[in-house]
This record gives sequence, structure tokens and C-alpha cells, in this order.
Amino acid sequence: MTTDAIPRGGRRRSTGSSLAVHAALCFASLVMLYPLLWMLASSFKDEAEIFAHGVSIFPTSWTLDAYRRGWEGLTVTFDVFFWNSAVISILSVIGNVVSCSLAAYAFARLQFKGRNFWFALMLGTLMLPYHATLIPQYVLFLHLDWVNTILPLVVPKFMAVDAFFIFLMVQFFRGIPRELDEAAKMDGCGPWRIYWKIMLPLSLPVMATAAIFSFIWTWDEFFAPLIYLNDMGSYTVQLGLRAFVDSSGKSDFGALFAMSVLTLVPVFVFFIFFQRLLIEGIATTGMKR
Amino acid sequence: MFLLPWLAGFFLLTLGPTLASLVLSFTNFDLIQAPRWVGTANYERIATADAKFWRSMWVTFLYVIMSVPLKLAFALGVAMMLNRGIQGLPLYRALFYLPSLLGASVAIAVLWRKLFAGDGLLNQFLAMFGFEGPSWVSNPDYALYTLVVLSIWQFGSPMIIFLAGLRQIPQDMYEAASLDGASPLRQFVKITLPLLTPVIFFNAIVQTIDAFKAFTPAFIISEGTGGPVDSTLFYTLYLYQEAFGYLRMGYASALAWVLVVIVAVFTAFSFLTSRYWVHYDD
Repeated sequence: MTTDAIPRGGRRRSTGSSLAVHAALCFASLVMLYPLLWMLASSFKDEAEIFAHGVSIFPTSWTLDAYRRGWEGLTVTFDVFFWNSAVISILSVIGNVVSCSLAAYAFARLQFKGRNFWFALMLGTLMLPYHATLIPQYVLFLHLDWVNTILPLVVPKFMAVDAFFIFLMVQFFRGIPRELDEAAKMDGCGPWRIYWKIMLPLSLPVMATAAIFSFIWTWDEFFAPLIYLNDMGSYTVQLGLRAFVDSSGKSDFGALFAMSVLTLVPVFVFFIFFQRLLIEGIATTGMKR
Repeated sequence: MFLLPWLAGFFLLTLGPTLASLVLSFTNFDLIQAPRWVGTANYERIATADAKFWRSMWVTFLYVIMSVPLKLAFALGVAMMLNRGIQGLPLYRALFYLPSLLGASVAIAVLWRKLFAGDGLLNQFLAMFGFEGPSWVSNPDYALYTLVVLSIWQFGSPMIIFLAGLRQIPQDMYEAASLDGASPLRQFVKITLPLLTPVIFFNAIVQTIDAFKAFTPAFIISEGTGGPVDSTLFYTLYLYQEAFGYLRMGYASALAWVLVVIVAVFTAFSFLTSRYWVHYDD
């Protein structure tokens, strides 16, 4: 399904009412995006202007001063947080794509005992609130001495715990014609070769969608890092920002906004370049965010 | 073979811990000493002696009951406006979706705190019209509403799902209804809503479960306290405080299981009642 064509169900209206709709939509977008623009603008204003022209989204003079103050506002600078977040997010993407595509291939194509039973269980874990596993997992990682390392945040991703991605990939794999694997089997290909040479190359769009969502969700994750990372040197950007709120951020509005803007940049870049992929991913699978 | 990573994860990180937390919920456990069996004492305390539990239940319930219907209403309303074959659909859709994508981050929670602070954007704006607003985030009467607004602001992803659903409705149904003289309102009630019930059902379930799990915005806006006066004490926040603030792991496990049961009952109830109001093509 392409989402960008003129909608089939779309109804044509007279120019007058369509103008009114445009006016309403423009107004709504402006109201919705104003806070974001305001944050962006405030991060470039100087202290005095934040208070003098608080509401404006057009700074009269542009300065990067807030960024400088924010970057070094804590005992650990923000480049450490960005590095930590990048490492965790990239490893999570790899883990998710590899482990979930393997599981999805098994569910979509392989014959094994109790396949439907395991598939139902896998879907069941989608509904299970993470609270149920939270405390024993914490105890487990504590005994493994993994607290204060990135392992509790990354290793589970290599075990395909994000059932959403498995489901997404199963849906996609089922759409690939079976004749292709039958033909490959005739030519003597085993399941690994079929997975590697046929399924993966044909499912690049869904892999990209899973990778991007996986990156964004890991980047934004707050709860797990909050529990597992206690040492400021191991903080992710989300934890760093939170620490900044609690320290100087209360008084230094501009620096706080500057750092907030920076933490949003990677997500925003993905949005700009891949928004069609993201929107189609949501429209076809109904993913949550 | 292909299933090995998932099977390992399922047993080690999902099934095992789920059962372990059920066992822990009948113990007292502080991470230092071995868990001590206390029978149903944790559950008894939850039911009878824990005012904060009821407080957090109430806050979470209010949040769900206010944010989910409003968010879905906005999502559907905007989706219907976008579905009129207007120009620039991809642009509008992307703009409305942006908050959903950014919304889960700490930065947005920080922004929200500043929007609704005493000297925040909203009050500066109100001041231009001569009103003097309170500090919304630090007033127990309003703090929860700022979080509800934050949730509604992120109506983008249900909107996209509604938009995909609206496209599946055959155009000729509306034409036939128009010929029969049905008003737009009547068309909406008799055609759009019934045919959209599967999508509404899906969105409602996903959004409700998500709302039950909300944590980050309340944590940031209240600085981890759930304040002012416990007015933003979400259930997950309370569980976090018990587990990682006071190290009452047994009690927190019991709280987790209460939530699991509530979500399970809600989901089962929704599926059971769905056959009376959700319309599927036969």
C-alpha cells in the first residue's frame, strides 16, 4: 500500500471548504509545533532576551553561548553522553535486526514442532507489561555484575526480546513468494543460504524500518538506563539531560534548552530522511509510537 | 537453530523473571539478605493499608480515562480532515506525526515543564492578554492535566493508523448515502464509525496499555517525586520508588503483579466485549 498517492477514499470538496480545511490544518500545525520552535529559538537567545522577549520564536541576536555553557555544565561533558548513547543504540540496532530476523524467518518459513504454540507465546509477550520481569532481571544482572555497564541494555536486544520487530518481520516475510525458496531448495540451498541470499535481500525496507525504530526507541529510552547506569561517566544523553535539569538547569534556561535540542537532533535527522518509511511502518503494522 | 536467540531470551529474560517476580511478590526482599517468605502479607498491605497505592491507582486511572479518548478523538478528527483529498497531505501528516516521534524523550518532558512553569510560555502568552496564570506544573490541581495535554499532543501515530483505515472505506457507500439524503453527521455515525471500529479498537488497546506504563514525563516534571502532593504519582513511578528508592523488591513485585492482572483483565474484557461493537467484514 502506498500512502502518498491521492487517497482512494478521499472526497473532493469545493474550493471554499478546502481553503477552510487548509486554514484549520495550518493553524493546528502551528499550535502544535510552536513549543518546539520556541525551544529551538530560546536555545539561541542570550540570557537577557529570554526574559525580555520570552514568547518570540525569532531571536533578535543569535548566539551559541547557551550551547557552550550546557555542553560543559556538568562534571562530565555531553560528548561522553552522546558517545555512550550512540554505542548503546547502534549495538541495539544490530542485535534487534539480527536476532529478530532469525526468529521471524523461523516463524514464517520453517516447519518445526509446536510452531503455532511458540508463535502465540511470542505474541503474548507483546501484551506483558515490562514491570513483570523488571525486578528479577535487575537481580540477575546485579549478580552477573553487569550493573553500571551497558550489558543489561544491549545483551537482551541480541535475544530478540522486542517481539514487535519479530511480528513486523513475520508479516513481511509472509508476503515474499514461497516459489522463490522452493526453487532455491531445488538448487540445493539450505535454510541458512535461503535466509541470507533470498529473505534478507528482499526485505531491506522492513529491516530498515525496524533498524530506525530500534535506534529511536533505544536513544529515547530512560527507564532502563536510569536503573542500570549509576555512574555519571556511563550516562546516556537522556540521563545526562536529567542530571542537568537537577543541577544548573533550573536557573540556566537557555543552556538546558540547548542540550535538549541536541538530544533531539539524531531522532529529527531520521525523521527528515526516513519519514515515509516510518509512516508506512506505522500504517501497515500499527506500531505504537 | 534460528529460534535459539529468541528461545534463550524468552526463557531467561521473560518467562523465568515473570515467574520469579510472582514468587518474590510473596516475600520481603531488600537485595542484601535472602528473600523472606511472608505469604500474602504484601497483597494484604496493598489492599488495606497503602494509601499511596490507591493514590497512584487513581492518578493513573484519571490519566488513562482523560488522555486516551481525547487523543483518539483528535487523531480521528485530524485524520478525517486529511482524508478529504487535500493538497499537501504528506507534509501535514509528517508535521502532525513529529511530536509522536520526539515525545518519549526527556527533552520533551523538560520542554513541557518549561511551557507550563510559572514564568513559562503559556503564562507569558496569557500575560499578553492580561491574565495571570498559576505555575501549572507545581500546582496539584493542574499538574496532571499538563501530562494529559502532553499525551494528546502526541496523537500522530494513532492518526496515521486511522488514516490508513479511512482509505479502506469504499467511496461509493458515501455516494449512495448522499443520494439517499443522509447528512454528513449521519454518514459519519452510520458509515465511518462502524467501518472503522476495528481500527478504533486496536488504537484504544495500544494507547491504553501505553498510558498505564507511562513514566518519563511524570518523573521529569515532578523530579522523581510524583508531586506536587502526589498529583502525578503514576503507578510505574510509585513502583520505581518502592523498588529502587526503598529497595522493597518483594513489595514492588507484588505491585507489578497487580498491574499485570489489571492489564490482563482489561485486555480480556476488551476482547470479550469487542464482538458486540467491533464490526469485522465477514
